Amino acid sequence: MSDLDRAIAQLRACRLIPETQVRELCYKARELLIEEGNVVCVDAPVTICGDIHGQFHDLMELFRVGGDVPDTNYLFMGDFVDRGFYSLESFLLLLCLKVRYPDRMTLIRGNHESRQITTVYGFYDECIRKYGSANVWRYCCEVFDYLALGAVVLGASSELEPSGPSPMMNDATQSTMAMENGGLETEVLNSRGEVTMSTYRGRQRSSSDASTDSRNISPPRDISTVPGQTPLRSGPLGTGASGNGAASTASRTGAILCVHGGLSPLIDTVDKIRLIDRKQEVPHEGAMCDLLWSDPDEIDGWGLSPRGAGFLFGGDIVKQFNYKNDLSLVARAHQLVMEGYKEMFDGGIVTVWSAPNYCYRCGNVAAILELGEDTSAGGTVARSNGDYARSNGLLSNKPGVRSPGRRYRVFEAAAQDTRGMPAKKPVADYFL
Amino acid sequence: MSAPQIPNLNTLRRGGGGTRGRLRGRGGGPQTGSQDQVVQGTDNDAGVSRLSAVRLGYLDDPYAPALTQPGAETRRLPIINRGTYVRTTVIDTLVRSFLDRVPATSRKQIISLGAGTDTRIFRLLSSASQPPAQNLVYHEIDFAVNTAAKIKFIRASPLLQRALGADAAISAAGDALHSGAYHIHPLDLRSLKKGAKEEGERASGEDATTSALHEVDPTLPTLVISECCLVYLSPGEAADVVGYLAETLFGGSGEASPPPLGLILYEPIRPDDAFGRTMVSNLASRGIQLPTLHKYATLEAQRRRLQEHGFHAGQAAADVDFLWERWVDEAEKERVAGLEMLDEMEEWRLLARHYCVAWGWREGTTGGQTTGAFDGWREMEGQKDG
Repeated sequence: MSDLDRAIAQLRACRLIPETQVRELCYKARELLIEEGNVVCVDAPVTICGDIHGQFHDLMELFRVGGDVPDTNYLFMGDFVDRGFYSLESFLLLLCLKVRYPDRMTLIRGNHESRQITTVYGFYDECIRKYGSANVWRYCCEVFDYLALGAVVLGASSELEPSGPSPMMNDATQSTMAMENGGLETEVLNSRGEVTMSTYRGRQRSSSDASTDSRNISPPRDISTVPGQTPLRSGPLGTGASGNGAASTASRTGAILCVHGGLSPLIDTVDKIRLIDRKQEVPHEGAMCDLLWSDPDEIDGWGLSPRGAGFLFGGDIVKQFNYKNDLSLVARAHQLVMEGYKEMFDGGIVTVWSAPNYCYRCGNVAAILELGEDTSAGGTVARSNGDYARSNGLLSNKPGVRSPGRRYRVFEAAAQDTRGMPAKKPVADYFL
Repeated sequence: MSAPQIPNLNTLRRGGGGTRGRLRGRGGGPQTGSQDQVVQGTDNDAGVSRLSAVRLGYLDDPYAPALTQPGAETRRLPIINRGTYVRTTVIDTLVRSFLDRVPATSRKQIISLGAGTDTRIFRLLSSASQPPAQNLVYHEIDFAVNTAAKIKFIRASPLLQRALGADAAISAAGDALHSGAYHIHPLDLRSLKKGAKEEGERASGEDATTSALHEVDPTLPTLVISECCLVYLSPGEAADVVGYLAETLFGGSGEASPPPLGLILYEPIRPDDAFGRTMVSNLASRGIQLPTLHKYATLEAQRRRLQEHGFHAGQAAADVDFLWERWVDEAEKERVAGLEMLDEMEEWRLLARHYCVAWGWREGTTGGQTTGAFDGWREMEGQKDG
């Protein structure tokens, strides 16, 4: 067993590795990250994750739900640290996995991967508390500076693959269905890791549907509250197959841009992101800041952000940006969503939030987004070039750019008292 | 892509491991004694939050350090600081309006329930930015443990003593304080009604309660404040406390008609959504119960409560999110937002929507005169929906 594997095993058990090893790890990680562009290219299939915020036990839960590394190809959209009690364990584990399996683990920068923010929101204090000095914090911050600013996922299928067995389902419940183009599926997992609800909605909608649904698509937590989704399956995957399984129709989805916060008025093409000099502390303003701080909102154009950094951007901005860049979807994190994920603007953007019961206080569930691989072109990655006529009348994309099939796995927080793993009884602040 | 080697932490969620049982033993059960201790401890928590907000410039309160447990100082998260700021300034605004409407030459009264180490009286007596309150008598009621702790702070601090003036007398037990303008009553609120009943039965004689609240003048325009206090009582007990004040103590006697009376409540609300459920269970695991929370779960329920207690002249309520948005002017918002980077917008709204300020009042007369003590409250914007 190599030192790295040993470190991984130790961190998985929520035990820290020695400071000297952290220094070495951070050095290796930097060597690796420096080779990555500002926008990393990732081939589907990939599982996209949002904020983690030091909730180590929930990160373990995420791996149980989404599959382990390197079996599953992961893309984490930043905010690994701050707020939770285990920022160090969480970030160092992810970093170890990155160094160990560089092609199966993509980490991009969140607004909390910053010296300034970590001194306010807990990571700095945690480093001092656990290592007795600011050295480890300094090593980690140097890594932060090298993290990519975004990622582009290529070769995602517009079909939902038959759900590989959810890692927690037994074989008998394995799904054999194939989803329709641009389908959207949600699996809600209960505390025992069983799929308690699975909903599926095809993307084939009339234009009137599309317009009534233009604000956002609320994640279906309750079957009865979600209009217009058919067919509906409750119970284990595979018990109600509905797809047509026609592989020939599934192809050429647009690329998916993944970024922590959102868009910037200074960035109208993905290529402009590539021009940023990223190897620095997150600035207070400018394109790099916006990518990490902005939020989508129900407005036209751009608006001021109540966060004091970044901007608010409306559906028209997303539509234009996706069109111009042949994107079918922007995936981002950054905002707590009670249901784990939230699609907006005709499915042109999605927020993925992966910290369940955020800060041990918010009572939310978490989600990860699985994008399948498009196998119709013999496994080669093909970006959309507009050859394909659209069948569903969605206005947000260039004709021919199909939406990717999206499977959201929704999960709850790990139990707070965890056998064999140190777990501080969290004390959330309230007004008393 | 199955991951069997990752332990399923959720198998531990239900069915109780060893630690669960222990927690249940501590949190559950109506062990009134230890429950009281937990409630008494909440004051320390509030004090630490207040000091954090003061240190960072949210609030101007020179008395906060002298009334906070030494060594307990912690920097709270930005959303907690902002919440402390909103709660404090909103109640200050309501209090200031009351004080301004009663002529400076007329006496008026504030009764603060479960006041703990609250600094408001010191700020009112020596307010630098505004004229110090004139002819105000301020009463605080709390458990003897808490009043004794506060009096200890006062004894240790020349700053606090200067604000009080020279005439303060402290009881032998060190848990009661009486001066011309300020009274600290060591009293379990739940004994108010019982005491009143016993007094009625005996018809005479020195009763513990009446002697404790002897200095309260039942004829003065009076404002009662419950800042996260009544919520710790049972619904019956909480209603009894307000009922005692509104009907018995300030119900008028003989030829004297009741004085104007106002009530300000600051409490958590909305326990039934995901955040609310988590709040209830998190606090329960610290042994903190909020028995009236479900009874007064909405703004509407709070307004109805005020109406039912006879505050007929007006009732209003608003959650902290609304109060931040609507009561804090833009310049001040900008100032406060600039104090700390607040990255937790969604969490802030969630948290802030689960606390409310409710206020209600009734008209009345003092010495045959109508003062309009709460007329200013008519201008205060409440939230319309529930």
